[in-house]
Amino acid sequence: MRHAIVPPYLLARIAAATEPHLAHAAEAARATLAGKRDYRPERSRLRLSIGEDGSLVAETAPAPDRTISDARGRATLPGVRVRSEDDPPTGDEAADEAFDGLGATFDFYWDAYRRNGIDDAGGQLLATVHYGTDYDNAFWNGERMVFGDGDGQIFTGFTNSLTVIAHELTHGVTEAAGGLEYQGQSGALNESISDVFGALADQHQRGQTADQASWLIGEGIFTPAVQGRALRSLKDPGTAYDDDVLGKDPQPAHMRDYVVTTGDNGGVHINSGIPNRAFALAALTLGGHAWEGAGRIWYRTLTSGGLTPTTDFAEFAAATIQTAEAEYGVTSEEVSAVRDAWTEVGVIGDERIEKPAA
Amino acid sequence: MSESRSPRPDEEPPDEQPSEGSPPVVVAVTRTGGFAGLTKAWTAEPREDEASVWSELISRCPWDEPARTDPHSADRFQWNIRAQCGPDEDRRADLPDRALTGPWRELVDAVLTWNAGRSRG
Repeated sequence: MRHAIVPPYLLARIAAATEPHLAHAAEAARATLAGKRDYRPERSRLRLSIGEDGSLVAETAPAPDRTISDARGRATLPGVRVRSEDDPPTGDEAADEAFDGLGATFDFYWDAYRRNGIDDAGGQLLATVHYGTDYDNAFWNGERMVFGDGDGQIFTGFTNSLTVIAHELTHGVTEAAGGLEYQGQSGALNESISDVFGALADQHQRGQTADQASWLIGEGIFTPAVQGRALRSLKDPGTAYDDDVLGKDPQPAHMRDYVVTTGDNGGVHINSGIPNRAFALAALTLGGHAWEGAGRIWYRTLTSGGLTPTTDFAEFAAATIQTAEAEYGVTSEEVSAVRDAWTEVGVIGDERIEKPAA
Repeated sequence: MSESRSPRPDEEPPDEQPSEGSPPVVVAVTRTGGFAGLTKAWTAEPREDEASVWSELISRCPWDEPARTDPHSADRFQWNIRAQCGPDEDRRADLPDRALTGPWRELVDAVLTWNAGRSRG
């Protein structure tokens, strides 16, 4: 279904309808109009579709509450506010890409999991663009997403890919769900969850099934000078780039290649390759839209309160199997797909970490 | 984990004594993490006549302050800074990006600028 924010004049016409088959739509439109848009703490919108009997179906759904700020090349936050929810496009590519990307990510979380934003309570989605000079990064600072412009030699900017925007927003979702300490294995899981839902938001926007998807993170943020497709591949960790300057994608695809390092908070962006591949394998086995089967299992695992901030790979794997059993049944294909995926990447079967699922 | 260590850690082999040709000050900066997870490293080996300026930059940094952490952020850079001044002084610190301010920022900027000058020249 396409979503659009219905303009007020159209809402007014629907609200005034007297035909019996439009009664529900009229009521929803009146409810939407009754809210003072500028002062509402929680935003909603009217979604219209045609029901099976040909009648107009109207439902209210939450709407994102986005504010984009511009740091104007300085490394200070939040910067100057340039676009809020009811404002027209700014004409600035990064600001408008961030605005649209947050909207697409919000729609993904609502459509797929009925999650109302980062906090599941319609809270604000805050982003700053043009942070720093030649700044080669995008990050989550605990409150907002921050995007640099890149140096123009390696990176072209970090708002070009929905996977990056959805990755950053998902760091907020993970924190709201109880958090995963950003160090070692729990940190690599935190990273992996951001990559998983970053990829799923992109697949959802494109309407792709698991076998149609690229499973890449950050496609389009490298300049043409870089020999690489993207920053990471969930399906084939370690193959995203191989460049003279950057070197080769260092992500492992299996526990036997787990990288021990003090940098990068213990290799959180490196070892995330292992759980990333487990997710992609499970999704490819199950087929269809990856956000519906494997994605639902990962989402429920993250948000059901069963994880601790120091959950490691083995505990997370066991938790996803438990979730699959609860959602689909112990003998379901979902359970075997998830268990097989964790086995294939060596998280189950390694005697250091093996434990029964339930 | 972030930490600040001084002086030289045990695992490092003893460095050569400075003599003619070996610079009195060496500052190495390594940046890890970030969304891309790419490691970058820079080193400054200033000439002897610049050493006092660099010693001043180094001494203004709070090397012995307790570890600083940034638990609520993600995808930020992590910085490792190591400064050697002559045979007896070898300091190092690990800092989250948020802590790279004031004298730390000045020292790191000086190393990046020194590197850029050398790669052009």
